[in-house]
Amino acid sequence: MKRKLICTVSAVSIASVCLTGCAKNIKPGEIEGYDEGEQYLSIWVHSIEETPEGEAYRDAVNRFNEAYNGKYFANIEFIPRNDSGGGYSDKVNASVLSGDLPDVLTVDGPNIAAYASNGIIRPLAPLSDEERNKYLDSILQQGTYNNELYALGAMESSVGLYYNKDIISEAGIEIPEPDNPWTFTEFLDILEKLKQITAEKNGYPLDMTFPVGEASIYYYAPFIWSNGGDFVSDDGLTVDGIFNSAENVSVMKYFKDIVDKKYMSAVPIENLFESGRAAFKFDGAWEVNTIYQSYPDINLGVAPYVVGDDWNGENYTPTGSWTFAASSDTENIDGATELVKWMSGVESGLMLFEKTKSLPSTYEAYEQISLFTEDENYKALYEQLRDYGHPRPKTPAYPQLSSMFQQSLENIALSGKNTEEQLDKATERINDKLERYIRR
Amino acid sequence: MKKRRSNAVMGMSFFTPALILMIVFLFVPMLLTLIYSFTDYFALSPDNTHFVGFENFKKIFRDELFTKAFWNTVGFVAIIVPLQGLGALGLALLVNKVAHFKKYFKVAFFIPVVMSLAVVSTLWMQIYSPEGIINTILGQFGIDAQPFIHSAKQALPSIAVMSVWQGVGYQMIIFLGGLQAINPALYEAAEMDHASAWQKFRDITLPELKPLCIFVFITITIGAFRMIVQPMVMTGGGPSNSTYTLVYDIYETGTVNWEIGLSSAMAVIFVVFVIILTIIQNVLTRDKEEKKK
Repeated sequence: MKRKLICTVSAVSIASVCLTGCAKNIKPGEIEGYDEGEQYLSIWVHSIEETPEGEAYRDAVNRFNEAYNGKYFANIEFIPRNDSGGGYSDKVNASVLSGDLPDVLTVDGPNIAAYASNGIIRPLAPLSDEERNKYLDSILQQGTYNNELYALGAMESSVGLYYNKDIISEAGIEIPEPDNPWTFTEFLDILEKLKQITAEKNGYPLDMTFPVGEASIYYYAPFIWSNGGDFVSDDGLTVDGIFNSAENVSVMKYFKDIVDKKYMSAVPIENLFESGRAAFKFDGAWEVNTIYQSYPDINLGVAPYVVGDDWNGENYTPTGSWTFAASSDTENIDGATELVKWMSGVESGLMLFEKTKSLPSTYEAYEQISLFTEDENYKALYEQLRDYGHPRPKTPAYPQLSSMFQQSLENIALSGKNTEEQLDKATERINDKLERYIRR
Repeated sequence: MKKRRSNAVMGMSFFTPALILMIVFLFVPMLLTLIYSFTDYFALSPDNTHFVGFENFKKIFRDELFTKAFWNTVGFVAIIVPLQGLGALGLALLVNKVAHFKKYFKVAFFIPVVMSLAVVSTLWMQIYSPEGIINTILGQFGIDAQPFIHSAKQALPSIAVMSVWQGVGYQMIIFLGGLQAINPALYEAAEMDHASAWQKFRDITLPELKPLCIFVFITITIGAFRMIVQPMVMTGGGPSNSTYTLVYDIYETGTVNWEIGLSSAMAVIFVVFVIILTIIQNVLTRDKEEKKK
């Protein structure tokens, strides 16, 4: 009898969960703080509420509700995203189908083009010049697709070419000025000089890998851009003749050269740089904090990112992070835009930096954080981002493009396959995914 | 009569929740997958979905990566099934023979089964790393460091071996149960006839375990076909797609590239393939039973 009861209760409760999945049309008073006369705005973020990042978002929304009391009320929902990117994006995809998207949602920078061209997000209400000029240029560029501004982020990111000061000075190498970086050829000479020294330490001149996932295109796209190459046309729909251009072929061969000459290990060795056995490493801005906290023996410096031999001062260094955008389902684009501006604003960026050490997205935030003026490494990363930041390729087929770049690198540099053939094949595969956008 | 009816009501009340759950979470998705496989359903613009006939299937059969994933999966199965099946049997025989600490060994070999695959994979990444345990031991014998999961040639076998290590305890427990269920009188009779240990194994243990062997064989095969977590965590399908599996391809196509239609078609092909394999296995094992009679 007892068992039957348990069965019935569990069946009923599961059924009720299934049936009441989505509750829309929230009325004033139903949520604490949502009062009569306020416009309701829903917002989804991709993190867990109990993490430092989640707390920063919660805090930003609370301050928004205070500042706009009587006008807007924003309600934040946390939808965790797992490592492989599921969870949050599954929920977004499902809501695209059911039309239950919130007013504002977070979108990863490289996905803006796909979301925009599929009508999931809509352009923001116009920003004044003053409002626009608060943001780093790389943030505005990342959020723009087909000449319209769709998204703004509170966080930026950068990749540094880190060097071990002790090893570099042992080899008698001078670090160039940011406006005059090493060219590909010069960098090869330097690696050659360092080979002997790092070999004695049982290491390599360069701690570099071509990992599966987003990291590869994020770290190494600058080699393509600074060499006069690109990934995709401006409208994001053509790759043929661009992805497999002669410039890109030469970059791929350059990477192969680095592997063949044993300037890097073909097999990833963990903590090569951190254990003082490599002179250089490409890694995200978080590496600075990691070194400071966990490897205080390493004498860390940031060198300007390497450029192609014919580089002429164009923007080329890695950028990009998660952003806020207004969904196409919103009926209140002005309110949604206000919320996007607030969430990506100075205070939000300061709070996120304090809690997660992620780089802010506004000039004012950088000015207020003393670390970016006092610490030479943070300062170098900021200046590189400010002066030379380049958004990742903007195309609706970005996931395919990113994984094709990584695979090409791996196949060419590590497995020694034919460069032209690999790039042509990759181009064909990306083209395949672009077909649906060209057909329209 | 009344009793029977109340039994039926009682039965239904037990059955209905399970039925509803199965319909919602199993039958409907299965049917949807089949329907989607004939459409160009794209997760980001579901409104633009059209029926495209067999277009997806044509695309898949032309797709080099899918073919590669298929053969990789077959490779995994070909390594894992014999290794894990025989390994489990061997371990079961050993543990059965051990006089002391039997419980300890049972638990020790079973622990990896209970651990999360993601955790086990991360652990083995350390073990396989260029400066990890295995390479250190190899170095003691003067053997060069091996790249293991970082080389296109070694990655697949390396992951397969790790999977065997992780899964073998489960089948070992099943075999142990089977071994303990064998009537000791059979062995006693054999001993009277002065049968050797090998004869006892061949003529008593193996035939008695045969039905279990079939079960174990099928479960390992299906498990190996579903391989995704290990390559996802350890190699991301690389290097050069050498550990990219069918289920991984289905996942990537559907969730990363948003092409639900295409990935549904892949799933349908995968299901058909597994069904064919199961039928072949059934036919093979039925033959054996008939021969026994």
